[in-house]
Amino acid sequence: MSTTTRHRAQAAGSVAPPAAHAKAGRHSQPWLAWLFLAPTILGMGLFTLLPIVASLVLAFFRWDIISAPTFVGFDNFAEVVQDPTVRVSFLNTLVFVVVAVALQLGLALALAIMVQEKLPAWLRTFFRSAFFFPLILSAASVSIFMRYLFNEQFGVVNWALSLVGIPAVPWLTTPGGSAAVVILVYVWQNFGFSFLLFVGGLASIPVETYEAASLDGATGWRKHVHVTLPLLSPTTLLASVMAIISALQVFDQPYVLTRGGPGDSTRTAVMVIFESAFQRLEFGQASAIGVILTLIIMAITAAQFRLSKRFVFYQ
Amino acid sequence: MTGATNGRLREISRRTALGALGVGIVGATVASWPRLSGTDIPGRGDNSLSIAIMGTAADAAARQRAIDAFTRLHPEIRVKVQAIQAVDWKDFFTKILTMVAAGTPPDVVYVATEGAQLFADKLAHPLDEYLRRDAADMAEYFDDVHPSLVEAFMYKGSLYQLPMDWNAANMYYNTTAFRQAGLDRPADDWTHLDFRDSLVAMRKARPADFTPYYWTNRLFGGVVPWLYANETSFLKETKSSGGDWLWDGFYAKDPSRSLRSGGYQWLEPNADDPRVFESFDYLRGLVQDGLGVRPEEGGGSSLVGLFASNRIGTTPAGGYWVQGLHEAGMKENDYDVQFFPKWKSQRHQFGTAGYAIMKTAKDKDAAWEWIKYSASREAMELIFPNPITTPARRSMVNEQLYAGKGPAHWKVFYDTLDKYPTTGPIPAPPQQAAVETALMKNVSLAVSGDERQLKEALASMQRDLELALRRQS
Repeated sequence: MSTTTRHRAQAAGSVAPPAAHAKAGRHSQPWLAWLFLAPTILGMGLFTLLPIVASLVLAFFRWDIISAPTFVGFDNFAEVVQDPTVRVSFLNTLVFVVVAVALQLGLALALAIMVQEKLPAWLRTFFRSAFFFPLILSAASVSIFMRYLFNEQFGVVNWALSLVGIPAVPWLTTPGGSAAVVILVYVWQNFGFSFLLFVGGLASIPVETYEAASLDGATGWRKHVHVTLPLLSPTTLLASVMAIISALQVFDQPYVLTRGGPGDSTRTAVMVIFESAFQRLEFGQASAIGVILTLIIMAITAAQFRLSKRFVFYQ
Repeated sequence: MTGATNGRLREISRRTALGALGVGIVGATVASWPRLSGTDIPGRGDNSLSIAIMGTAADAAARQRAIDAFTRLHPEIRVKVQAIQAVDWKDFFTKILTMVAAGTPPDVVYVATEGAQLFADKLAHPLDEYLRRDAADMAEYFDDVHPSLVEAFMYKGSLYQLPMDWNAANMYYNTTAFRQAGLDRPADDWTHLDFRDSLVAMRKARPADFTPYYWTNRLFGGVVPWLYANETSFLKETKSSGGDWLWDGFYAKDPSRSLRSGGYQWLEPNADDPRVFESFDYLRGLVQDGLGVRPEEGGGSSLVGLFASNRIGTTPAGGYWVQGLHEAGMKENDYDVQFFPKWKSQRHQFGTAGYAIMKTAKDKDAAWEWIKYSASREAMELIFPNPITTPARRSMVNEQLYAGKGPAHWKVFYDTLDKYPTTGPIPAPPQQAAVETALMKNVSLAVSGDERQLKEALASMQRDLELALRRQS
């Protein structure tokens, strides 16, 4: 604290700090800082950085847990790239990301606008909780429950459809049906997070902006197109980055609902990593796929931030 | 926060408080280190014989009576059972391998057919030396156990496990559904065509909210029983030489002695076999005509409830189903069991399980004593008091086990082996996990579309199996 500042503080009626404190401030104690940082550094190092490095190293080895690892150079990457199942799973993942993220963000935004605009405060609170609730459930539990719901013979969904004369749909046993269910369940469980982000973003838009738009003759729909969407763009960027990263790592829902089938129609990149590592004991190949997926996620995220310069408007 | 020091109040700074908190956290971590590192787990790090089984703590507790009896017999051997929960055997083996990688492998593992060759190839210690040494003690066990079960645990001429329990894919049927359709109990040698006629009759009697044939997409009870009945499989089945020391030693007088070998081998894919196509085409017909379901992958968890509520006519299952149906409220005459329908033959599919000694076991002699005791009649009666599975000992598959629970024709379970000695195990090479995935992922597509889609699915299966078998297990 400078002398000038101290005088100002005293003038304002505050008590000057004791000399000991001033002394302690001048002589920093780095070991204390490291002591406080140690748990985080240790946790990050052991459970984040070490696995990343280990995975990167393992990608160049053949290892089945039981035998000693053998160095194979880029063989794992070559085999992975040539594996049709891996290629299909990456393609499935990209399609999933496009469809699921679009639905997730669209639904979240539409509901956020509706809830913020049309509902009284107590209902708003209720819907915020209701839409966020699926997110706190275990994805595996939800998927097991959904399996029963979408069972072709005995599922509630087909029973409900039969009431209006629609024949039973083979939800989980045809490529189209299973993909639809996986996306539906994923979106239902995850849109609440994007919804909350949008609710927060909408609350931060000044009311005056809408009033000005109204004076200029903007109606409801145009108001959202010309005011809400541009001013919500930073939130949209954050929501889309997080939704895409999350969707690229989808595993629980397709694994529990369909095991990646029928065929490879719902097999995703992370499922292939899991199968390579824990079913075929090919930890090197699993790591190679993991490295490729990480690079893809990084590339997509970087592209999003680059593009954001054109489309994101900060107030 | 304030404290009195020399009669004056002294402020405790935030830094001091945080420092104290930090020291407290470090202290708590040090104090709880045994818990965090798992070293406080009973038996961890000591010389107990650790036995891993798939199941819950309740399953481990169910073995306690057998452990107590074993301890009375061998007070020098301490035993601890680790129950490992898993979705299926594949998941269980993964967890065991993780324990191996972590440097804390169990000494003995309860392994089913699905993992028998994986363990024999990489992890398990053969039992040959012990069987030769204790041949006199073991003769009674082998007299009571069908050689087909034992052969399933032979690998390249050595025996790695003693079968404890097993299940064949027989055909369960709902007697109410049969009666409503005007059907009698099927003949022992009913054919796949008779079976289809039964399904048609049941469908006619119950047009809605009923499935004449419910099957799941799994290695056990899925498409494989139909392939076996049609004298084929999705993998080419051969047998290795060797094992004569066992067969001549324990099964010299068995009528099926000439069939026995050094163990099964599945080295090549066989999805392009015309009989595989024929079998799949038959199932495709059942699905198309609304007689059977499109099978879900890994399904089956809801099957007992559906069968018990009279919404399923027939389904393939083994003796393991009896207790579940009883607990679901089915009376002994509400259902029955018959051999799987005949096609080219009436060869059945079975799965079996038993203890394997790990190569890394600290005390293999103690592990063998446990295996030997577990194979005794006394131990098996303690471990299998209810029909939750079919005991490997023929003498235990008796009236007493099924009394009040059914099925009326429980003899079908063990007769499957006695009447059809070519009945074989689930095809499970060391690369079983990859092989199972290759099979399962193509089954739904194969039976859900037209003939072109079936051919494409089988071609895809052939490619996937080639890849799976080429890989290192």
